[in-house]
Amino acid sequence: MKKLLIALFAVLLLCTPVFAEEIDVSKFEKIEDFNGLNIGVQTAVLYEELIMDRVPDTAFQYYTMPTDMILALKSGKIAGYLIEAVGYGVHKANHPELTTFKEVPGFISASNIIGNNDKQERLLKEMNEFIRNGYENGLLGDDGSLYQYWIADFDPETDNVGVKDFTFTGENGTLNIAVEGGYEPFSFVSDGNLAGFDVEFICRFCVEYGYTPIFNEIPFESIAPGVETGKFDIGMNIVVSEERNETGTLSDIYYTCPVLLVILENEKIAAPSFFESIKISFNKTFIRENRWKLFVSGAGVTFLITICSIIAGTIIGFAVYMACRHGNILANRVTDFFLWLIHGMPTVLLLMILYYVVFGSSRISGMWVSVVGFSLMFATAMIDMLRVGYNAIGRGQYEASTALGYSDRQSFFKILLPQAANHFLPIYSNEVVTLIKETSVVGYIAVLDLTKISDLVRSRTYEAFFALILTAIIYFIISALMVRVVRIIQKRIDPKRRSDRKVLDGIDTKDWELF
Amino acid sequence: MIEIRHLRKEFDDNTIPLRDINVTINNGDVISIIGPSGTGKSTLLRCINMLTEPTSGEIIVDGQDITKKGCNLNEVRMKMGMVFQSFNLFGHLTVIENIMNPQITLLGRSRQEAFDKAMYLLTQVGLATKVFSYPDELSGGQQQRIAIARTLAMDPDIILFDEPTSALDPSMIGEVQSVIKLLAKTGRTMMIVTHEMDFARKISNRILFMADGVIYEEGTPKQIFDHPKKELTRKFVQRLTTLSYKIDSTDFNFEVMNEELMAYGEKLLIEAERLTKLTLAIEEICINNIANYSDNPYILVNIEYSEKKDTLFLSVRYKAEERFDPKTSESKLFQLLLEEPTTTLKETKLKDDDDGCQYKIDMSFKWEDAE
Repeated sequence: MKKLLIALFAVLLLCTPVFAEEIDVSKFEKIEDFNGLNIGVQTAVLYEELIMDRVPDTAFQYYTMPTDMILALKSGKIAGYLIEAVGYGVHKANHPELTTFKEVPGFISASNIIGNNDKQERLLKEMNEFIRNGYENGLLGDDGSLYQYWIADFDPETDNVGVKDFTFTGENGTLNIAVEGGYEPFSFVSDGNLAGFDVEFICRFCVEYGYTPIFNEIPFESIAPGVETGKFDIGMNIVVSEERNETGTLSDIYYTCPVLLVILENEKIAAPSFFESIKISFNKTFIRENRWKLFVSGAGVTFLITICSIIAGTIIGFAVYMACRHGNILANRVTDFFLWLIHGMPTVLLLMILYYVVFGSSRISGMWVSVVGFSLMFATAMIDMLRVGYNAIGRGQYEASTALGYSDRQSFFKILLPQAANHFLPIYSNEVVTLIKETSVVGYIAVLDLTKISDLVRSRTYEAFFALILTAIIYFIISALMVRVVRIIQKRIDPKRRSDRKVLDGIDTKDWELF
Repeated sequence: MIEIRHLRKEFDDNTIPLRDINVTINNGDVISIIGPSGTGKSTLLRCINMLTEPTSGEIIVDGQDITKKGCNLNEVRMKMGMVFQSFNLFGHLTVIENIMNPQITLLGRSRQEAFDKAMYLLTQVGLATKVFSYPDELSGGQQQRIAIARTLAMDPDIILFDEPTSALDPSMIGEVQSVIKLLAKTGRTMMIVTHEMDFARKISNRILFMADGVIYEEGTPKQIFDHPKKELTRKFVQRLTTLSYKIDSTDFNFEVMNEELMAYGEKLLIEAERLTKLTLAIEEICINNIANYSDNPYILVNIEYSEKKDTLFLSVRYKAEERFDPKTSESKLFQLLLEEPTTTLKETKLKDDDDGCQYKIDMSFKWEDAE
C-alpha cells in the first residue's frame, strides 16, 4: 500500500512540469487569462496593484532582484513578471528569449522621498523646484535628455554616467542618498562606480543646490523605513501610492513609464555552445569593468566586519561575564535580559533596529553598525561559552585554590580560566564560522559586503553561476582561515602540549634524574 | 591557637548543620571528628577556613576573629592547609606544578626553591617518579598523596582533612592513611573528619564526637572509644543497632516480632543460626515462662547487635510476682543453648519484696568462628 502511494506520488511529480509546460501564455489574449497563475513582482515596487483586481486568484511572488525574477520565469516557477518598460530593455538585451505580453498592465510614476529630519522642508522645496525646471529645460520627460540617454537609447556596455562625472562644492552640506544600486538602468555599479538615471538625476540636483551626495546602496524595501527615521535625506525611485504618501514626504513625479508583463518567447532561440557560454559568463562576471575588484573589496569588508566583531565581541563578552561572575543580582538580571533579547531576534532585525532606530540619527556608517551588531551577538555567545566552560570544571577547583590562599582574581585567571578554555574553545570556533555566515545579511543596511557585491554583479550580468560559486568559495576560505587561527591558539594554550623540559624551564634539576 | 565560640550555621533550606559549637584547638593537637552522617562534621571543618561562611559565632585564629568583615582571608587560608575528599588537584597542571605554583604565586618563592621543596615532599609521599604526570593519569590514592604534598608545601600551621579517604578504593586507603599517620607523629596540628574509627583512634590525641550540630562528647581516644559516657556515643563507636519490644499483654504478637528479627538479621548480616538461638531464648524466657505465669505481664525486651564486637545482646527486664530463673527452664533446647561456650547468661536482681519483683536477664551470643 505504502509503495503504491509513493509510486503514485512520483508519477504526479513527474507530470507537474508537463502540465505546466502545456500552458502557452503567449496565446493569451488579455491579462485576465493569467488568473490563477503565479506572477512575479519586485518587492516594494507595488506594481501588482495595477492588475490585482483583474487576476483575483493569482498568487504574486515577490523577488528582491530582477535577476531572480528572470531565473524564476525561465525555470517555470512563474508565468510572467511585471517590470517597468525601462528595466525590460536591459533584460531583453541580456536574455533574448524574453518578450512582453501584448496588453500593457498600466503606468507607474516615481518620485523621491524626503527624509524625516530638519532638512526636510527645505529639501522638498528645492527638489520640487528642480523637477519643475527639469521638465521645462529638457532634462526630464519622454523627450528629456535623461530619458533619452538612460532609457530610449541605453547601452549597458558603455553608458556609465555617474558620480565620477560630477564635481560637488558641498557648500550647503552633505546629503545621504538611498538608492537600490542593483537596479539597472536607474542605479547600478559600473566599473566600480555608481551610475544610472537616478544617480545622474540626484548628482545634477546636488550640483545645482550645492550639496555633496553620499550614496547608500540598500534594498528597495529598506529605503522607505530608512528615510522615515531620518537616516537618509533622500530615497530614490519611490513608486507613488496613497499608502506611502501618508508616512513620508514625497516629491513631485520625476518620471512616468509603462509597466510591462514579461513572458517567455514561444520559439526557442539557439543558445551558444556550452563552453562558449561559460566563457562569456566568466568574462561578464569577472573581467568586464574589472568586476573582480568588486569581489575583492566585498571580501575585504566581510573579513573586516568578522574580525572586528570577533575581537570586540570576545572582549565585551568577557567583561560582562566578569561583572556577572560574583552573582550581582542587578548585573545578572540586566545581562540575562539582553541575552534573551539578542538570542531571540533574527540577525537582520537586530541590524535594522540598530541602524534605523538606535543609531538612526547618527551618521555612523552601516559597516560600523554591523560591527556593533555582530559584536553584541558574538558577546552573547561568548558569555554562554564562558558559562558552559566554567560549569564544566566544577566547584572543587575553585575551593581548592581558595583554600590554598589564592585571591578570587588569582584563582580565576590561574586555575579556572585555563581549564574552562579547553572546554569552550571548540565551541568558539563554531561560533566564529556561524558569525562569518551571518554577516551575509549586512547588505540590508547599506554595507557592500561580499554577498551584496555578488548581488550587484548578478543584477548587471544576469548570470548567477559564477558569482554565486565564487562567493561561496570566498566564504569557505575566510571560514577556514579563521578556524585555523582559533585552532592554533587552542594548541598554544593547551597546557598538556608542553614538553617536560618546558614545564621545568630554568630550574636546576641535576639532583634528580628527571629527563 | 584556634578558638571557636558559639559557631552556628544555617543553610538556605533551613537545615542547621551546626547549632552551637565551642572548641579550642591547641598547637600540636591531632583532632579527629567522628559522628553519624549529616551532623555537620564537614561543615565545621569548612567553616574553620571560611570556605563556608558561618551564620553566627566567632572563630579566633591567633587572636583575630576571622568571621569579621575586613579580615584578610587569603592570608589566613595560607596558614591553613586543606585536604579534600575529592582531591581537587588542578587538572591543567602537572604534579610538580600543582605543588610548585601555589608556593610561587602565594609565598613569593623562587621557582628553584619551590621545585626543591616540591621534590622533597614528593619523595616523602613516595611519588617522586610522577613529576610530569597530570592528575587524571593518577590513581585516587596517588592524587590524594599529591594533594597532601601540595598542602604541606605551603608550610601551614594547621591542616584540615575533610574525609581524606572516603572517595578511595579500599585498596588505596592504607597508603594515604600512612602518610597522614607520619604527619601526626611529627607534631603537626591537624583536624580530621573521618569515618575510619581505628584510624582516628590510632593517630589522634583528641576525639570530637558530633551529633545534631553540637559536639556531643569530647575526650581522648580511650575515653571515647572504650568508656563513652553517653549512650549515643557508645552506640556509635560500637556500631550498635538496637531493637526494642514491650510485652504488656498476653496477646503480644510473637509472629510479628519474629519477622522483624529476621529482617534485622538480614540487614546486619547476622547468621540465621544465631538468630534462631536468639528467638529460642526470647520464646523460652518471655512467652513460655514469665508471661505464662502472669495475667498482667510487663516485660521489656532489648536486642542489640555490635558490629564492632560481632556480638548479639539480649536484655530482658521484667516485673512479676515471682522470679524466673532461666537455669531452671524445662526446655531441653534452651538448656543445650546455655551450655554452649559462645553463650553467656547473667541475672541481676533489681527489686524483690512483698509487692513483687523486678529482675534483669542479660544474654549474649557470639559466633563460634569469632572465638
